[in-house]
Amino acid sequence: MTWTTRLRLVLLVVTTTVLQATLFPDLRFFDVAPDLGLVATIAVAYRVGPERGAVYGFANGLAIDLFLQTPFGLSALSFAVIGYGVGIVQGGMSREVRFAAPLFGGIGGLVGGSLFVAVAALAGEDQVLAMRTVYVVLLAGVYDAILAFAVFPAARWATRGAEAPVVRGVGSL
Amino acid sequence: MVVYRRGSRRPIVILLVVTSIALITLDVREAGPITGAKGVARDIVSPVASAADRVFSPVGDWIGGVVRAGSLRGENERLKRDLEEVRGSDAQQQALESENRELRELLDLPFVADSDAINAQVVSGPPGNFEWTVRLDKGTSSGVTEGMAVVAGKGLVGEVVDATGDGATVRLMTDPEFGAGVVIAAMGADGQETRTSGFAVGRTGEDLVRLTNVDPAAQVAKDAYVWTSGANTSQFPGSIPVGRVTKVEKRAGAPEQDILVEPLVDLDSLEFVKVLPPPTIQAPP
Repeated sequence: MTWTTRLRLVLLVVTTTVLQATLFPDLRFFDVAPDLGLVATIAVAYRVGPERGAVYGFANGLAIDLFLQTPFGLSALSFAVIGYGVGIVQGGMSREVRFAAPLFGGIGGLVGGSLFVAVAALAGEDQVLAMRTVYVVLLAGVYDAILAFAVFPAARWATRGAEAPVVRGVGSL
Repeated sequence: MVVYRRGSRRPIVILLVVTSIALITLDVREAGPITGAKGVARDIVSPVASAADRVFSPVGDWIGGVVRAGSLRGENERLKRDLEEVRGSDAQQQALESENRELRELLDLPFVADSDAINAQVVSGPPGNFEWTVRLDKGTSSGVTEGMAVVAGKGLVGEVVDATGDGATVRLMTDPEFGAGVVIAAMGADGQETRTSGFAVGRTGEDLVRLTNVDPAAQVAKDAYVWTSGANTSQFPGSIPVGRVTKVEKRAGAPEQDILVEPLVDLDSLEFVKVLPPPTIQAPP
């Protein structure tokens, strides 16, 4: 990965974090905000693979955690795991799927949100243990899917030159 | 399509997970420099948040208006009726306030000195979906410190949970981690009107606040007003209006009554608030 790519990824982390902390609190729909950092992690992991996806997710999660009241490291943990998972799933796919952005954004948002809630509950954050949490995770997943249309192209720009194509299952490509 | 070699670098992921768990543990135990780092980050972003709020608030308000058009019409009519009632009782209230102030001075009780309040603007809401907070544009440089009570026009909003140089985060009273000692007008066992104490706590994702530790024998009426108690152990000044009782339910065998309170302040549309200094005992004249 070149320094230019690293710089672009840092810029993506900073941009998504600032937008999440400033703009998205005002753009809630039905009292739920989408998780821009999580969608960016999914989009980056989709391009760069599991390990780099996990590292990016960890960094983006830490940046978001600076602005949350939930324990520091909670988003970092869930984003890192999701980044890794998305990289694994994408690497195992035999062909390009249509509508990959909303599909990965939506499902990744659901799984990432659920993971965040599970870890938060383990960390003693009782406020997540409520029926509203199901509503929040589901609705945030829908928003994440929509948001993915914009975030995936941004991630493609940021990860330019970072992909590491490998000869595996070439016949199916 | 891009495919990748199966990872021989899985230890990186394990390292990240272990690091995350260590950070969570440190923060939960309030150890290390994490709180300071959060403060610095929020201070840096605070001016951007203010600018974003100015630009995007109208958009958010417009969307909210479209989504809630029906309920807003009903709310508008209700507010007009309330306004007429308030106009009628304004003169009476002024007289009562004057009397109240004199009695407080005589009794040596804490008094909310409005002149000491710090005016602040709400610059952003919570960035996450699992917290009920707002960010203010005033911080320690303006005298705002952790634990201070925050009020808006009609009553209590919440408490300052962290303050940095140029901003502060306020936990709203609907946050499940919020708690405040309160008093409620009630009928005693002897049928006489009395005041009973309780504890107001937030509820996850609900607009109502629950009262706990209320005397099971107290007859709390629906629509009764709830105020902060200002007890010695409380960080809030006394007599701040909290809300109105919307539901009182006594279940057979339950250790306490189920009492829900609707906040007087619309916590979804806060713009300007006042941060109150901690209660102080005023010396009697």
